[in-house]
Amino acid sequence: MQGDRLPEGGRIDRARPLSFTFNGRALQGYDGDTLASALLANGIHLCARSFKYHRPRGIVGLGVEEPSALVELLGDDASGNRPATTIPLREGLVAQSVNCWPGPGFDLGAVTQLIGRFIPAGFYYKTFKWPNWHLFEPAIRRAAGLAAAPTEPPAKGHFENRYAHCDVLVAGAGPAGLQAALEAARAGRRVILADEGVEAGGGLLNRRLTISGAPALDWVAGVVAELEAMPNVTHLQNATVWAYREHNYLMVNERAPDHPGLLERNWRIRAGEVICATGAIERMLVFGNNDRPGVMLASAAQAYVNRFGVRPGKRAVVFTNNSSAYAVAADLISGGVEVAAIIDSRAQVSEAARALVPNVEILTGHVVTTTRGGRALKGVEVAPLAGGASRRIACDLLAQSGGWNPAVHLWSQSRGTLRYDETLATFLSDKPAQAVTCVGAANGEIALDDDSDDLPYAIEPLWRVEQARGKAFLDIQNDVTVDDVHLALREGYDTVEHVKRYTTGGMGIDQGKTGNINIIGTVALAQGAAPGEIGTTTFRAPYTPVSFGAIGGLREESVTFPYRHTPITEWNHARGAFMYEAGARWRRPGYFPQAGESFQESVNRECRAVRQIVGVYDGSPLGTFELKGRDVGKFLDHLYTNIMSTLSPGQVRYGMMLSDDGLILDDGVVLRLSEHRWIVSTSTGHADAIHAHMEEQRQTCFPDWNLFVTNVTSQWNNATICGPRARALMEALGADVDLAPDALPFMGFADGQVADLPARIVRVSFTGELSFEINVAPRHMRALWERIMEVGAAFDITPVGSEANHVLRVEKGFLSLGHEVDGTVDPFDLGMGWVMSKKKPDYLGKHAVALRRAGTRDRRELVGLRPEPDQMIPEGAPLTQGGDRKPTEGLVTACVFSVVHDAWVGLALLENGQARHGEIVHVRLTDRTIPARVTAPVHYDPKGERLRS
Amino acid sequence: MAYDVEILRLSPFALFDLKGAAEALEDWAPELSGLPGDPNALARNGEVLHCHVGPQHWLLRAPLEEENRLDAALRPNTAPPEISLVRVSDTLTFFRLTGPDAGEVLSIGCPLDLLPGVFGDTAVSFTELFGLKALVLRCAGGFEIAVEQSYGDMIADYLARATV
Amino acid sequence: MMNIPCPFCGARNESEFAYGGPVKPDRPDPNAVPDEDWTAYLTRVPNPLGPVQERWHHVRGCGTWLTIWRDTRTHDIVEGPSDAG
Repeated sequence: MQGDRLPEGGRIDRARPLSFTFNGRALQGYDGDTLASALLANGIHLCARSFKYHRPRGIVGLGVEEPSALVELLGDDASGNRPATTIPLREGLVAQSVNCWPGPGFDLGAVTQLIGRFIPAGFYYKTFKWPNWHLFEPAIRRAAGLAAAPTEPPAKGHFENRYAHCDVLVAGAGPAGLQAALEAARAGRRVILADEGVEAGGGLLNRRLTISGAPALDWVAGVVAELEAMPNVTHLQNATVWAYREHNYLMVNERAPDHPGLLERNWRIRAGEVICATGAIERMLVFGNNDRPGVMLASAAQAYVNRFGVRPGKRAVVFTNNSSAYAVAADLISGGVEVAAIIDSRAQVSEAARALVPNVEILTGHVVTTTRGGRALKGVEVAPLAGGASRRIACDLLAQSGGWNPAVHLWSQSRGTLRYDETLATFLSDKPAQAVTCVGAANGEIALDDDSDDLPYAIEPLWRVEQARGKAFLDIQNDVTVDDVHLALREGYDTVEHVKRYTTGGMGIDQGKTGNINIIGTVALAQGAAPGEIGTTTFRAPYTPVSFGAIGGLREESVTFPYRHTPITEWNHARGAFMYEAGARWRRPGYFPQAGESFQESVNRECRAVRQIVGVYDGSPLGTFELKGRDVGKFLDHLYTNIMSTLSPGQVRYGMMLSDDGLILDDGVVLRLSEHRWIVSTSTGHADAIHAHMEEQRQTCFPDWNLFVTNVTSQWNNATICGPRARALMEALGADVDLAPDALPFMGFADGQVADLPARIVRVSFTGELSFEINVAPRHMRALWERIMEVGAAFDITPVGSEANHVLRVEKGFLSLGHEVDGTVDPFDLGMGWVMSKKKPDYLGKHAVALRRAGTRDRRELVGLRPEPDQMIPEGAPLTQGGDRKPTEGLVTACVFSVVHDAWVGLALLENGQARHGEIVHVRLTDRTIPARVTAPVHYDPKGERLRS
Repeated sequence: MAYDVEILRLSPFALFDLKGAAEALEDWAPELSGLPGDPNALARNGEVLHCHVGPQHWLLRAPLEEENRLDAALRPNTAPPEISLVRVSDTLTFFRLTGPDAGEVLSIGCPLDLLPGVFGDTAVSFTELFGLKALVLRCAGGFEIAVEQSYGDMIADYLARATV
Repeated sequence: MMNIPCPFCGARNESEFAYGGPVKPDRPDPNAVPDEDWTAYLTRVPNPLGPVQERWHHVRGCGTWLTIWRDTRTHDIVEGPSDAG
């Protein structure tokens, strides 16, 4: 039963009825309806309760400007706080009102209307300040919150981002936008035309105008067809240009693109030029109880009749301060609505306007002072503007027009300036900041030109009705009234930006599209200034709400963050490894649990294998760079703290890099392959940063040096065999190089064949055990790995994950960036002063470290910790004197269960720690303290005999 | 599939990273004659591509079977210090996107303007793809893209999701 | 999202670049200048309201470290002062 559906007319498909549910009621509309038009067709005006006062609210607008009719969608497209005017009706849609329970007709929250005077403007400001917002927040959210966010992602479909480029981006496919797009396209330019509506035409869709004597929509269809045929044009409907950023970069949110499974697409467009054909938005008038269901923007009432074939009321009063409402009255009459009167605040009305409504009473110089009714409009009080007796007129629809605001949102986002135009009583685009122009209604050309039958636009501003009785709302969505603005001004918030923050006016989902100008006008009246002197608040993106999904695009689930694999990843999975990201996006095995093993048991077993027999781990992610040129030696001398230029071909040297302000950037090893070829090896986590650092130094500081840097991180993978039996396993694998300790000593390397694969063997050790790092090309890595496991079976070889590696390096006291190196320590603090060359007069970080160490403050120095009694200490725990509540004297950087000691061992940074070995210090936890003995930071093989073996 | 595109993960190529002055590189190895001089331009010689990907920086791509022959011709280990030649065959994983929608799929992750008049048959460039550094060039019926090898599985995952 | 001119590649999307910070004066010889000057060099970073010279790394492109003048109020890429390097 669509009781208020007109028998004919409108751009709806009456052959395609659609069923939907609103607040539990089964209803019907037609294809082409919005939820709002379908509700009106069913005679439903009351569809929401307001944010703060829980006042009954109806449908005010037609599209994105809607300040009132917010609903929540349920089911597959669950989402909250959606204007009913922007939801295309579809079969099976389920919607409900927000802010009311059990329904908008009976709302327990409405009692807040009675205590409304205790929640004045600025309530949030004051509450935030005293005593603690958190005391109030839950109750306020319950009482005043909007719809809840959906808890589940959309059931079907996905989101997409897409980049695009064009010569001209036209925002808006109304008459001006279509014309602009057509002209640019005919000139051969690459054009993107994007419009927020479901079909092109803009305001013409809502009117009954003619262009050159023919229906305006025939002209629209002709232009659309011509654009469609041109390959240089991309025409998007249902696509809102929502952000205008620097360098003519704009975002367009395309909803329900013609693409299977795609919910929304977010375009990121770089445009040579932008044309804002964004039209104009009708504004409200400010009078008493101007929020009652049945009070509607005139243009919306007109559109419901013309575009949707819906009668928005049976008996209407039109209230206006401008000429545009006369065509509205005429169209309402054509749609079978009785127009009781036109209340025009202006003294004079043109004959052309009067001619549109020959039989309607026109009360010039009159205003509506208040509305009557409860949950629905029953009538209005009308009085002369100059004062005098008021008169009541019965009606169930009040179509109001406060005039038109060019939609300068995008223009303003582009940082273009605005000027106030007295004739149009609104703000217009002034000076551009980027390559952008406004055209059509967005440029203040509110009426169509002479070629149409549109009435010329004339307005006399009416910022508010002085005689208003009852609450006169400026911002319906945030329940901001004229009184609230006056309060803000009295309390000293006297600029429009402050008024906005204090009252929250214009901060709703609609961003004050219909009401902001009235706030400016109200401030202007109160301060005796012109609106142009008051100015506007800043327009910011998004123009209309955009779903997070559209912004995120594909970034969800497994691809939220980038990830990297080594050739062993598949093998690790098959082996049941517990995988996680371990720096620089690499997914690595943490440990390899065996049946029935706990985490700790797995890690202990892997550690024991390395300490007692032999283990192998995948060291592929280490950063590797090949440096070439005559000046590599002196370049590395500048970058590293120690001297690298003296390295002989065939040698390896450990080194540390500092930033020029003395922070440790990275540590790693350098190999000299030949006179002019070197390999720099970095930690996994800093590979990219060190690459950028080397290139910055090379390009900006030493552009004339003979030096090239090539990233070969993924040209080399490595399997590192470590443990007392590593050499035996290497021999069993078959290597054509002499592996004896004196032929291939610790910190040496050799190129050759291992297991019949071309390889570089490097004698470095991150575990403190005898280690052979077998570097091969990734294409050989899997074969090498499987060969190691096969041959290693006789040695009971154990694959080792990141967790065991961490334990082994802590036992050995090897530093880890991010643990022991935290941006405050220098190499001396780590007991590695030997790495800081005294011989070199200058290198990055040398002078900064020297200056800092010249200070008198105690340094935090690396020490070992042995908790007494034996127990685990949480990493990061602070050390304080006596475990008391005192300033910290250090922190625990790592604590692991050592299989060597069968006890927990730790590392810590401790004030003056190198002189405090043997002392007992205290770890301060929230509920207890843990005493621990300070030791040297090396818990295992302090002489390094095993790694040199 | 919603997009009309075929996505193929290609088997490895022989790749050499070449740095230095073009004349010095060409003098050292005749194999390298005809290195393109324009930025982000490529020269095709049958299956062999010379890509000018940075200042004094080229990438040579050839079928993997050519790797040893090229290594012998380029002699990276004995080249003079004025030039750098490094075998990097394993560093990049290539994908081929072909079909009418190849450009649209690529533009989901790549900010480059792919209009033929802007990015033509002889264009090649490192750019961004799904947040990563990626090499992009045209091939018959579409595009070839390459990312750092360790990201290959991730890009395959992304492309599969993008074209569901 | 800026469109940054790379001397090798031409204008490219900001997402291809990494920010490299404002350009500081040339690094002095730390052994030849007073410590105060050295500390000032390390710690004082230009931060004007208006045009600032800064480095960007075309890290996802050709690898060039380039220099632009950017107006911090608008993100406009502008001509540097005529006496600047």
